[in-house]
Amino acid sequence: MGENKTITVALAGNPNSGKTSLFNELVSGNQKVGNWSGVTIEKYEGTIKHKDYIIKVVDLPGTYSLTAYSPEELLARHFLIEDKPDVVINVVDGTNIERNMYLTSQLMELESNIIVALNMFDEVEKSGNKIDIKLLQRLIGSHVIPTSAVKKTGINSLLDHVVRVYEGEIVIAKNKLSYSDRIEGEIEKIKDVLELQRELKDCYVPRWLAVKLLENDQEVYKLVKEYPVWTRVERILLDLIDALEKEDSDDAEIMITEDRNAFIRGALHETVIYAESKKKTLTEWIDSVIINRFLGLPIFLFIMWSVFQFTFTLGEAPMGWIESMFDYISGIAVIVIPEGILQSIIVDAVISGVGGVIVFLPNILLLFIALSFLEATGYMARAAFVVDKIMHKVGLHGKSFLPMITGFGCSIPAMMATRTLKNKGDRLVTMMIIPFMSCGAKLPVYVLLISAFFKPSIAGNVLFGIYLFGIAVAILSAKLLKSTLFKGESEPFVMELPPYRLPTLKSILIQSKHKAEMYLKKAGTIILAASILIWVASNYPFSESIETKYSQEISIVKQEQLLNEEAKQFKVNALELAQASKQLEYSFSGRAGKLIEPLIRPLGFDWRTGIAIITGLAAKEVVVSTLGTIYSMGEVNEESVDLATKLQDDPNFTAATAMSLMIFVLLYIPCLASIAVFKQEAGSWKWIGIYSAYAMSVAWIASFGVYRISLLLGFGN
Amino acid sequence: MEITLDELANGSKAEIVTIKAIGEIRRRLLDMGVVKGTRFKVLRVAPLGDPIEIHIKGFNLSLRKEEAKTIYVKKIGEIGDGKPMNRFCRKRRGFHGGK
Repeated sequence: MGENKTITVALAGNPNSGKTSLFNELVSGNQKVGNWSGVTIEKYEGTIKHKDYIIKVVDLPGTYSLTAYSPEELLARHFLIEDKPDVVINVVDGTNIERNMYLTSQLMELESNIIVALNMFDEVEKSGNKIDIKLLQRLIGSHVIPTSAVKKTGINSLLDHVVRVYEGEIVIAKNKLSYSDRIEGEIEKIKDVLELQRELKDCYVPRWLAVKLLENDQEVYKLVKEYPVWTRVERILLDLIDALEKEDSDDAEIMITEDRNAFIRGALHETVIYAESKKKTLTEWIDSVIINRFLGLPIFLFIMWSVFQFTFTLGEAPMGWIESMFDYISGIAVIVIPEGILQSIIVDAVISGVGGVIVFLPNILLLFIALSFLEATGYMARAAFVVDKIMHKVGLHGKSFLPMITGFGCSIPAMMATRTLKNKGDRLVTMMIIPFMSCGAKLPVYVLLISAFFKPSIAGNVLFGIYLFGIAVAILSAKLLKSTLFKGESEPFVMELPPYRLPTLKSILIQSKHKAEMYLKKAGTIILAASILIWVASNYPFSESIETKYSQEISIVKQEQLLNEEAKQFKVNALELAQASKQLEYSFSGRAGKLIEPLIRPLGFDWRTGIAIITGLAAKEVVVSTLGTIYSMGEVNEESVDLATKLQDDPNFTAATAMSLMIFVLLYIPCLASIAVFKQEAGSWKWIGIYSAYAMSVAWIASFGVYRISLLLGFGN
Repeated sequence: MEITLDELANGSKAEIVTIKAIGEIRRRLLDMGVVKGTRFKVLRVAPLGDPIEIHIKGFNLSLRKEEAKTIYVKKIGEIGDGKPMNRFCRKRRGFHGGK
């Protein structure tokens, strides 16, 4: 019997209960990470073979309760009700049983086969608290297994119990959580009515439905409303509300919560003896320094700075390696593949496109290693605590701060880091303002334009001013978006500050690896497609007449007898550059640049800048290289000059134009890579549309304003 | 005397009387164990003056003053409140559990 039977096990528990570590221990390396369908909440699954059984473990999102308010809780609830896992392991933090048991009390009501894993039991023993496990089992009506993910104890016993509970070999009489008489009476009344409806009786636990109706749970309301019994249920509920109002007593929701808490308190009163301890805990010590009145903010800023340095300074070297690796590969491709369209598409589109994706990988990995570390140690919650007041002023949550800071390095990991925000509105607003935090790729554009048009003595101030301008736009945008599109959608700041714990290297690496894979898979494909598209737009249509004209000129130069080899080569190069810029002008991108000229004229840009703006959609550094190509026109006989000088010499390009262009590059749609990530995180094209329209309008208005003011201030000549 | 949670000074101990918050905030508070009769201690205020951190049911909870304003509490551990926190209570139930 029992030859390779599959048992589905769900892992449910509070955040910070050590659930993830326990999961990693249970499935030890056999986990796979995906997303729950329809939401960007990660789904961890894994399988293990135990005895003759295949045990499939699903790690539900960490929740404090099972209400209908947060997507995580709804998801956990749906999985428990709809997918009906064979066994539910409820991970309870043994050092904080009272609050953790609140979820247990709700799981009891769902009448699943629960096993309680009393986790962090090593810490319980150390603290000297005594727990009467046998009695606790009887009171909550399920097995209680002491476990410790850190010390790797109790794991086998837990798996044994999963099998035995599945086979029905050991049964502990299920205990019912009973409420006060008043509530029990109402539950019975509603339950009796609900049981008349076969569909409800067969698929759900009627008592649970009744409790949830009394708790005013909108999802369950919606469900029951579909059936004819609703009219009768509604009458009972309305009568109760009226009666409670007349008595001026608390509503049913509060009474139920209080009863649950009373049940837990009673159960713990009988089973747990707390050791008397006057000693300050480690967490209290650390907190009294790290978030104290005076040091809290400086320490916070220092940690943010360290994360930033860790991610971008440490990431610089591997980024360089990746870049030179791809240079090497395209060098080989140029030799191996014969010159022509195939070579161009492979070298300029595929290799540079893939390279452009992979080059961000070191940053993403490092940032997520740092973030998972901060999250797992417990500092992340403190960071939100310290900075929440500022963020709350613009309508955001304290947790938005870190992603925003990360945006100064690169928008891509920054947008991925918004996953710590649970509220969708908060997340979208944060993602929409992240690109305004000027990222590293925009720097070359500023450097070029500032060095061309501003004195070295004020160059630094101009650069700083641009960064500040971005921050100001981000703050104003957050305020604007929060008071219009995302009105009222804010996550309440009721947050646990968990005890400090040293995370395991394993769980940090697993999480960071998952983030990197996700980026490569989802963003990578879109970016590759987009870079091919931009390549096509910049190379087609191809003008034969330009090609013929320049080939002729080049061959004439090559045959000239009067010039030495060096001068010949110089002339040929100049002609080739001129040819490239003519071809670019003739291509779709060039035509588009001319097409949008009337639109960008008021900002001081001509069609050449227009082309740079369009190709700059691929990546912001491309703005510089495009300007380089396009400004190389018609200078065959001149001495080689750098792009900055060429821009200065262009009468249409003034300091005012430079200011305007820098502001435009700062604010308009960021690179395609970050748009791809935005799509992946926001989940719908609708938000991309809204975001693009918003970013473009802001960029246009701001550039227009800056250009006009600069003209008034005399920067126009 | 009933006051709201945000009026308590650092280090003071109190007991929850009622929660006037509505909707999601109320649900969150209830789920985190902020219910009538629960005792807690105010630990600190964030460096910028908001939010605040309390110790309740054996863990640390932070909440904004805005939310704290909806929680009515009465102070305990002062002379004359009639409910001394004796050692027996503490030993058996943690300081929050005694009555």
